[in-house]
This record gives sequence, structure tokens and C-alpha cells, in this order.
Amino acid sequence: MDTTQQEPLETSEIEYSPYQENTQLARYIKDYPRSFTRNPSQPLIDRPLTLSELTGPLGLEHRLGIGGVGNIGGVGNEDMAQLTPGGQRAIGQYIEVTGQVVDEDGAPLAGSMIEIWQANSAGKYIHEMDRHEAPVDPNFTGLGRFVTDAEGRYKFRSLKPGAYPVTESDWWWRPPHIHFSIFGPSWMNRFITQIFFPGEPLNETDLLLNAVQDPEARDRLIFQTTPTVVGAVNFLTFRRDFVLRGKHRTPAVD
Amino acid sequence: MHTSPYCTIGPFFPGDFVAGYEDLTSFQGMQALGQHILLTGRVVEEGNRPILNAIVEIWQPDSNGVFRHPLDPRAHQADPGFFGWGRARTDRDGRYAFRTVLPGASGGYAGSEARWPHLNLMILAIGLTRRLVTTVFFAESSASVRDPVLDCVADPLARARMLARLEKQGNGPAEIPVYRYDIVTRGESETPFFVD
Repeated sequence: MDTTQQEPLETSEIEYSPYQENTQLARYIKDYPRSFTRNPSQPLIDRPLTLSELTGPLGLEHRLGIGGVGNIGGVGNEDMAQLTPGGQRAIGQYIEVTGQVVDEDGAPLAGSMIEIWQANSAGKYIHEMDRHEAPVDPNFTGLGRFVTDAEGRYKFRSLKPGAYPVTESDWWWRPPHIHFSIFGPSWMNRFITQIFFPGEPLNETDLLLNAVQDPEARDRLIFQTTPTVVGAVNFLTFRRDFVLRGKHRTPAVD
Repeated sequence: MHTSPYCTIGPFFPGDFVAGYEDLTSFQGMQALGQHILLTGRVVEEGNRPILNAIVEIWQPDSNGVFRHPLDPRAHQADPGFFGWGRARTDRDGRYAFRTVLPGASGGYAGSEARWPHLNLMILAIGLTRRLVTTVFFAESSASVRDPVLDCVADPLARARMLARLEKQGNGPAEIPVYRYDIVTRGESETPFFVD
């Protein structure tokens, strides 16, 4: 079903309940000092959701573009490890990531803009704040933009990011991870996260990943491995689905 | 189904994902209608310390109060030169700036609640595992504002912190009005944030 052809919903038919805290990272994290100086001290305030909060940016590809905007990889071929088709390839373990973006009813969210950013295979970001002494890969920016198809699915190719040390304040080693920024159809389901790789020893000590108390919820931050397809070019394949907030209001029965 | 867990943006949100998107005053080669404004301020944490590299995103209706979204029954009247979404990043002083249009009053038809001119604003930063969401109102005094969201904020001092202040009058097209909106994520004069 092409969800883009559906009639606009009445605002009253969609429900965006607050995030359940047990599905989320803790707001305050021991040994992560900024969490204590930045989170509001006052209780968050309840408010009604009107047209303003229920709407949100749609068709972001018309504003942001996809693929080759500025110095962003993933041009056309959705391959962040090869900036230009036929050009020099970045160095690392090649991966292919697929998944689906759905709402809490499991309904696919078609046309969702996804932004990706990640370190290169040596654990280095192209960013002025990154002081880690690791090499920059001239053929890798670590940036990509993709839009989900009619079934809410996305796919991109990249390379597995390296681990890197947090060099400010209390330091620790970040395990390999990829940042995802996803725009659902509403301001209420604008979503940002980091996704980790399965079986990494550093996962056990990462302050952020382990800020999710419930093990099942924590698993939703970790890629699932999928059977590796051996082809002309071999990419390790990973899958990660995302459930964004929002469901249809169920009419009271009985 | 359970929602996916949010996580912080960390320190390395890409500059290429910000450059240009702090200007909302044109879209697809067309100029936005209405009063263009500069919306600027500082984002600070406890102790009034600036937050560097915070990402600020806004979502707002056009100068006539229309949202570019199919839920708005007036969406077909949306200004073709205005997209309504923008993103900016704070510098070492915690300062951000958007060029946008003064939002119109929205809603108040087809069952939607009437809203005072405002825009939605969210903040992402290292140390914040979730976004912080608030609303920025355009008014000289909160006493004059009739709005169901601002009505949820009981403390008059807190209400006043949700107003963008006209800092400098415009002087023709070359010099647009400057509105000031500071954000205190934690500390004295803390900005009110909403349940998310």
C-alpha cells in the first residue's frame, strides 16, 4: 500500500504519548558530567498537542537534497564508502545496512528523511572537534542522506566505523556506532539515536548504551546481523528497524 | 510496538548538516512572504555557561499561519517560498541565529485550536540523551497571549521566558528586525520545556 496516497488524517486520530522512560536512556548518567549540568532541573510541563505540534517537515529531500549535497557521500548509489561511482574506495570493512521505519502500530513511514553520520574505520570523524590522533580517509566523509521508500524501508552501504576514545573529562572508549537522525511525519516523532554493532566488547562498558536499563530496549540500539550474501563485492550485512512514536487512537470498545 | 531509544548527538554533529539551513526565508528559488526576521540568542547550561555545538531546530507555520503539511486543512494555501523547518548550531558563546519569517497566528478552524504566533524549537547536545522541546511566542507581554500551550505554564516568570523579545527594529529590506530568544537548559531563569 502506498501510504502517501492516504487521505490526510484528522488531528484527533493520531496519538503521540510521551516516551516511556523504561524504553529510553536515563537522562542522568554517572561519570557523564554534562548530563548533570544540562538537563532541566524543573519538571517538564504537560501541554495539549495542536496542529502545530502534530505537523512537521515533510519532503525534506526538497530542502536538504539527498546524496551529494556539499561534501556528503552516498551519491545516487547509496554507497558512503565510494564518494563518486567508479572512484577511489574508502578503506575499511564494507557493510550494507537495511531496515524499516514504522510507527508504534507497525505502519510504515514512507518518505522519512534519514541522515547518517559516523567515524571512519580508524575511529576518526571529519569534524573540527575531533582531536583523536587517527588518520583521515580522503575517500570517506561518513555522511549520508537517504529517504525511506513506500514501505518505510531504507538501505545504504558504508564501512564499519572504528572505536575511539572520549578525550574530554572522564574518558572512555566509544564502541563502533553509527548516528541516525530520522524525520517522521510529525514534529512529535523527530528522532535521533546511535546504533551499535553486535558482539563488540566495548559495548559492555559504553556509558550511553548501558544507560538503557531494560535489556530488550538496549537491544533496539544494536544492529541485527543478517545472513551474509557472498557476491562480487562482499558487504557484511546488518539490519536495524526503527519504531517512531505515534499510533492511531483506538476507539473505546465495550 | 515499543519506540526506539533516543540517544545524544555527541560532539560530532556534521557541519555539512547545518550549513545553509539556518535561513528559512526562501525555498525552491522563491522568497518567503511576510516579515523576515532574525531570531537569535544564546543557549546556556548551569552557571550560565555557553553550550558549544548544540543543534537547534525549529518548525513553524508561514506568515499566514499555514503549515506545509497535509494535516493542515489550509495546506494548499501554504507559501510556496517557505518550507518551515530550519537548523542552526551554537558557537563558542552558545549563540545561534535563524533568518525566518514572523509566524502568523495558526489554527482556529476545522476543529483545530487557535494558536498565538509562535514557533516550535528543539535542542540537541552532548550530555542530553533526549531532545528538549519548547515553544517560542512572539508578543511584547505574556499577559496579552491567548494560547492553549502557553496557558500550561503557570509561573508568570517562566511564561515571560517563552517570549522572543524585539531587540532591534528593522529599517527597510536591508535591515530586518532582530528578535532575541535565550535558552537556559538548566539553572536560574530556566527555560520551560515540555513533556516529550
